[in-house]
Amino acid sequence: MLLVSIQGLTVALPPGADRDKAVEDVSLDVGRNEIVCIVGESGSGKSLTAHAIMGLLPRGVTAAGGRILFDGVDLLKETPRALRKRRGRDIAMIFQDPMAALNPVVNIGHQVTEQIRAHRAISEAEALKQAGALLGEMGLKDVPSLLKAYPHQLSGGQRQRVMIAMALSLSPQLLIADEPTTALDVTTQAQILKLIKRIQAEREMSVLLITHDFGVVADMADKVAVMRHGRVLESGVVGEVLGNPSHAYTRALIAAVPRGESQLPPPPDVRPLVEVSGLTKRFRRGGLFSRGAVNTAVDNVSLTLSRGETLGIVGESGSGKSTLARCVIRLLDPDAGEILLDGADIAHMKPGELRPLRRRIQMVFQDPFSSLNPRQTVGDIITIGPRIYGEDPKEARARAADILRLVGLNPETMNRLPHEFSGGQRQRIGLARALMLRPDVLIADEPVSALDVTVQAQVLQLLDDVRRQMNLAMLFITHDMRVAAQVCHRVMVMRNGKVVETGVTRDIFANPSSEYTRALVAAIPGRQTR
Amino acid sequence: MTAFARRFLSRPTALLGFAVFAAIVVIALAAPLLFARGPFAIVGMPLLPPGSPGLPAGSDVLGRNMMIALAYGARVSLLVGISATLCSTLVGILLGALAGYYGGLVDDLLMRVTEFFQIIPAFVLLMVLVAFLQPSLTSAIIGIALITWPNVARVVRAEFLSLRNREFVEAARTLGMRDTRIILTQILPNALPPIVVVSSMMVGNAILAESALSFLGLGDPNLLSWGSMIGGARSAMWVAWWTTTLPGLSIMITVLALNFVGDGLNDALNPRRSR
Repeated sequence: MLLVSIQGLTVALPPGADRDKAVEDVSLDVGRNEIVCIVGESGSGKSLTAHAIMGLLPRGVTAAGGRILFDGVDLLKETPRALRKRRGRDIAMIFQDPMAALNPVVNIGHQVTEQIRAHRAISEAEALKQAGALLGEMGLKDVPSLLKAYPHQLSGGQRQRVMIAMALSLSPQLLIADEPTTALDVTTQAQILKLIKRIQAEREMSVLLITHDFGVVADMADKVAVMRHGRVLESGVVGEVLGNPSHAYTRALIAAVPRGESQLPPPPDVRPLVEVSGLTKRFRRGGLFSRGAVNTAVDNVSLTLSRGETLGIVGESGSGKSTLARCVIRLLDPDAGEILLDGADIAHMKPGELRPLRRRIQMVFQDPFSSLNPRQTVGDIITIGPRIYGEDPKEARARAADILRLVGLNPETMNRLPHEFSGGQRQRIGLARALMLRPDVLIADEPVSALDVTVQAQVLQLLDDVRRQMNLAMLFITHDMRVAAQVCHRVMVMRNGKVVETGVTRDIFANPSSEYTRALVAAIPGRQTR
Repeated sequence: MTAFARRFLSRPTALLGFAVFAAIVVIALAAPLLFARGPFAIVGMPLLPPGSPGLPAGSDVLGRNMMIALAYGARVSLLVGISATLCSTLVGILLGALAGYYGGLVDDLLMRVTEFFQIIPAFVLLMVLVAFLQPSLTSAIIGIALITWPNVARVVRAEFLSLRNREFVEAARTLGMRDTRIILTQILPNALPPIVVVSSMMVGNAILAESALSFLGLGDPNLLSWGSMIGGARSAMWVAWWTTTLPGLSIMITVLALNFVGDGLNDALNPRRSR
């Protein structure tokens, strides 16, 4: 039984975009009581396809051809008024960022009841009762006080549960979920996915799930469609597509998903280059005259790091992993503890003493779009480091050409500006900038979390090659257990600023000693199905 | 740069503003060449209407050529407007950059100073200052710069606050770059667009402030400016409209042109914000 049948859908982009059609001749069926996943990388048109069903295309973007049959009615031919009535009642949608989708100045109870009362003529009290029941169904605790709470008082997971409750408040037949767990921590992601699956089964509704993660597909989907450049490359029952992909791109995508199993040997047993002990960093809130609460972001953390070794620091948001990295590289001043680099304590050095040592520890940043100065050419960006230390500009440029080749970029790109490059290429430029100083220690702070899976795999491979060639000690910060498993010799798990456990990657994954690590490993999407 | 120019010139108001402003600059620069005798020379009967022989803009209460006076007035207005804006922009960038980059105590102190200047009625402070320093071109420039720099400082501080935690600035720090170099080569070029926009608007405000000062008799007594022309002719306003209206129109057109330029710069430098 078909609920939605997309036939030959074409979505046109406004003139001046990098291509004229965002979605081209896409056909896709969603049956009743099933979960269909659209999977693809950024720019594949997966999100626009979903938005087209809702009639919520951005301004200037129009459905130029095809049909979207919902229960036999072509949604593209419906009047805006009729379509608005369908939204929420027949088709509901949840988004990636629940904070942006909730109104920050209206309490949760009011937001949920408003949605119900916009479609049904019932009293406020009755609507509130329904809202409470819905939130309870979403597995939320302490519903009465939750109804009075405001969005910022909720955790990311709670907000997404509220969003789902709102989407389900009118019992729609189709729920469209656009990357619903991408902004969430792994353990929360697993819970939300489980919730969506449970609700779908209980209500026998249809779900269209947009994702970039094949792990999520494996856990959730009945059917899957793989999209690229606005076209459906392959679609079918999930077991067949994953087990026996017919298209080369699908095979590449599946191969690019890190396995969550470590293939790296344990690290060589040599004298550590970096020894951190008792490192503590506190943040104080409040201004000049007020003493606010103290937040201990990094609490008595110790670690060692040797040449040729990659130590992964894994944790969810707020675990203090990034703060730790920023203390080790002295972008932040630690409150206590020591950081020995080759025996010299850099934790409390004054800026003048520290400056000559800075070149020995370098960093690759998370966001490829803010880590390069938009007004400098690539050549300037990567030679500025050596020039600070007095290297001859000509010599630096010659060396820059070699380094660019090493990170897989054409040296002729040196005269171009950062905005001309893709995210993956920018990360390579950021790596080149760090390598120009011939560092001993490389800190990589979520270097691939903003990248598509296939690009992610290439950049991870590059980091590992560079580490080996230059015999670097690498500190690798990530929230993604699968990524950590792929590149790290040892892993340190952090939570609330404290170290939960540290060990050889293989052991941590096969045999976690703490409850928390076990939960993290269990939450890896696609694990049960493999 | 070409894309920027295209965006700027594609707006009719920006183009018009720029053309008018350029024409005024040319007139101001050419005034001594065209009218070598200067604005104070008496050329005929007082209060001759515009269009009288040799007097396309008429004559003023003392029988001076209004046309020449308007051209020379443009020199004073532009000189004061541009120099005062340059001074206040430099001060504003310096203090705003320090406050935004270092934050904490430095920020608190500098912002209290900024607020001190912002809570005093600006024009009263300007009048007192100019009267105290003796009315002259320099004192008008210093005075106007002193009351306008807080606007620039606030904009610069806000930009620096948002830029200093960008990863490329952190990267510069991990490379071992010194703070001054980070401020000048990494942050400032990225903070320039809003500064340029605010400054272009400020030139107009400075011209208005100078005119008001001159109107009240606090302008440079050795120079004829549009403000002092209005001030000097206000007794003849009812019998000879052109003596006050023409300098008033000159001020209005110049300030309006500068505002158009400012709007155009704003849209051209921030293409995403404009729609």
